[in-house]
Amino acid sequence: MAQAPVVRVCYLYPRLLSVAGDRGNLFALLQRCAWRGIEYTVTEADVGEVPDFAQADIVLLHGGQDREMTAAARDMAAKAAPLRDAIENDAVVLAVCAGYQLLSHYYAPVSGPAIQGIGVLDAFTEGGQKRFIGHVAVECSLSPGQRHQLAGFENHSGRTWLGKSAEPLGRVIAGNGNNGEDGTEGARYREVYATYLHGPVLPKNPWLADHLLARALARRYQDFGPLAPLPDHTESQAQVAALRLARHQASGWRSAAAAISRFALQRPAPVSASGRQYDEMAGSPVGDKVDEVDPSVPDQRLEMPEPATSAEPR
Amino acid sequence: MPLLDRLPTKARASAADRAPASPVRGKSPQGASAQARLALALAAGKAASKTSKVLGFGGGTSFPGRVARWVDPGVLQKVTAASDLRSVVVTGSNGKTTTCRILAALADAGGLEVVQNRSGSNLLQGVISAALLGADLRGRLEAQLLLLEIDELVLSKVIPDLQPDTFVVTNIFRDQLDRFGELYSMARDIESVIEGLPASATVVLNGDDPLVASFAPAARAKRMYFGIRDDRPGSQLPEHAADTIRCVQCQHPLTYRAVHVSHLGDYECPECGNARPALDVAVTAIQPSQRTGSEITVETPAGTFSLHVPLAGMHNVYNAAAALAGATTLELPQPLEPSDARRAIDGVRPAFGRLEEIRAGDRRVMLAFVKNPTSYNTTMREVLRQPGRKHILAAHSNTVVDGEDFAWLWDVELEQLVPQMASLTVSGTRAEEVALRFKYAGADPATMQVIPDRAAALDMALAGTPSAEPLCVFAGYTPMRELRNVMQHRGWVPPFWKE
Repeated sequence: MAQAPVVRVCYLYPRLLSVAGDRGNLFALLQRCAWRGIEYTVTEADVGEVPDFAQADIVLLHGGQDREMTAAARDMAAKAAPLRDAIENDAVVLAVCAGYQLLSHYYAPVSGPAIQGIGVLDAFTEGGQKRFIGHVAVECSLSPGQRHQLAGFENHSGRTWLGKSAEPLGRVIAGNGNNGEDGTEGARYREVYATYLHGPVLPKNPWLADHLLARALARRYQDFGPLAPLPDHTESQAQVAALRLARHQASGWRSAAAAISRFALQRPAPVSASGRQYDEMAGSPVGDKVDEVDPSVPDQRLEMPEPATSAEPR
Repeated sequence: MPLLDRLPTKARASAADRAPASPVRGKSPQGASAQARLALALAAGKAASKTSKVLGFGGGTSFPGRVARWVDPGVLQKVTAASDLRSVVVTGSNGKTTTCRILAALADAGGLEVVQNRSGSNLLQGVISAALLGADLRGRLEAQLLLLEIDELVLSKVIPDLQPDTFVVTNIFRDQLDRFGELYSMARDIESVIEGLPASATVVLNGDDPLVASFAPAARAKRMYFGIRDDRPGSQLPEHAADTIRCVQCQHPLTYRAVHVSHLGDYECPECGNARPALDVAVTAIQPSQRTGSEITVETPAGTFSLHVPLAGMHNVYNAAAALAGATTLELPQPLEPSDARRAIDGVRPAFGRLEEIRAGDRRVMLAFVKNPTSYNTTMREVLRQPGRKHILAAHSNTVVDGEDFAWLWDVELEQLVPQMASLTVSGTRAEEVALRFKYAGADPATMQVIPDRAAALDMALAGTPSAEPLCVFAGYTPMRELRNVMQHRGWVPPFWKE
């Protein structure tokens, strides 16, 4: 290779949009470069700073609360044009939660004025009465023939609906995702990957971190080969545990009854609230491990009669 | 556990509460049947406490409350109505338990008999347990002060029954966002509680916390601010985990003359001029103590106090200031003399699991309860200040108390701890999650022990710790209680309810 590869990360609003441990996504990208001997640089850009997006390989835009998101939306006006150009030139972008909404058309909370996004993603978000809080399991197929699972934690009241030119990042296996109704989670456009998943999402889904790195490197260095594999035992253990939590959470009495009838009828499980049939986890590298319950792990969820919010009803 | 699970307390209490007519039952304490029901509830609760202790389930700090509330959902309201007592409620993200401990010591020195929910049992059942264990069967408390630390989650349910005379807010940090939804909606809950307090009540607010200081400016209750007016120990830049670093009024980034813990300090908005309010109770000097903790000078409306805070860390200086401010709102039978206050605070021991030093046979364990980035960072910094290599046991579990979302571990500066680490064991029902965080902070997964079982993890961690070096345990509430129970069974620590 002519030159040593460098991954240039542009980290937007490191202070403003940083509430749910999302900076772990940055750590995941950097560590996975470092472990492979790939150089990296990080450019931080907070309010009032417009970075050189043309130089960025990967842009990170994370979650925040309504108040912080409003401030970021105001500031995005100055960043919108160069960011849009970079996206049209296939810069890789990871957008989480509020960051996802900022790249869409708008977010209209239940109370207060709508927050305008930059409209790169054909999606809009309306506030909902009930907040979606909990573990999520998603199945993604980012390239034909490849299936991966995404585990994370959602915490949002917005319901996002995708337009024609955005495709979902994946299909919800357990949890709510975009809106709790159509079974979609996140959005994709060119090399933009938007999701509601915190957790943070990249450390426990290293395949996605590597996908972002591979796309970024392939864009800048045409002769860059596949990424060297890493020993991801810790990562896959954490992913399996998180997927298991998402599954168990989905199993209220209704799905318990469904499971019993499924068992009796020997039928595959339906997926998500929409009831859509789904070819469960076929070909997934961790799929067959998900339902294995390690007997040495006392799963407290099973002992808990009710979640905290309903334990003490008003 | 089996006994707890078999009792249908929760289901019954829930059904009763959902019925719209429940206030009728709660608000007629004069009726003979209501009185009998209350007596039955109190007797059942007291019996549950005894049973729980005898059978060794624990201190019975929340179980009796569950039982009593099952028998009579209005038990808390009736007990406070039947007794002539003042009540103080302490809430906030961090420092509730320690603030209550110091406040109890001060009230005691001032001649008030105190009933409180100790042991960090601050959900609704714990609060009810505290009230009923101190009451006779007619619901009268002999104590003159009901001192309660209350979790933000149940605050709005408990306050209408209690009508506290003094309401203390220690601080607001990001704390288990999955339980509370967003930070600001939790803040709004606290704010509406303050707005509902009568003019006779006093609200004691952390003036150094920009969000807390801004709460309910138009509320009827008297306001009192505490904080630190000594600029030396702080730095200028809030650390990463800082939550409220923008102006509450105009969103402009705040500038700090001094930052003491996370986002707590002397702030000012350069845009709109919103600044820290004038402090009524101000810590004006802080010196490291010859012993553990700090020597501080505090100016209050009741005079100047020179105190030794026997608990290490700046966060405990805030806790002492909050407690002293709370104490000045009480009409104490004996006015608090500086020397009495000094003696009272000097005798306060750390709440259980708050960097508690434990002799574990020939080993030394330091047990720390960590629940959010701020408490973790603060405690970790105390540990890093001590010389020598660090042996770490880190444990987190997903429970009702600890929450489901552990993303906040990524906001903890574990990168500072890992280079000084000699051994690492991770545990709890979310051990895999903790292991992942430590791996990305630079820990070598090959030498890391991942042992979800708490007792086994403690044994393995101790086995890997030389006798001359301490084992530092960082644990969430539930695993901390479990680890402490193991140590209690081995006779290393007294039961927490005997503290």
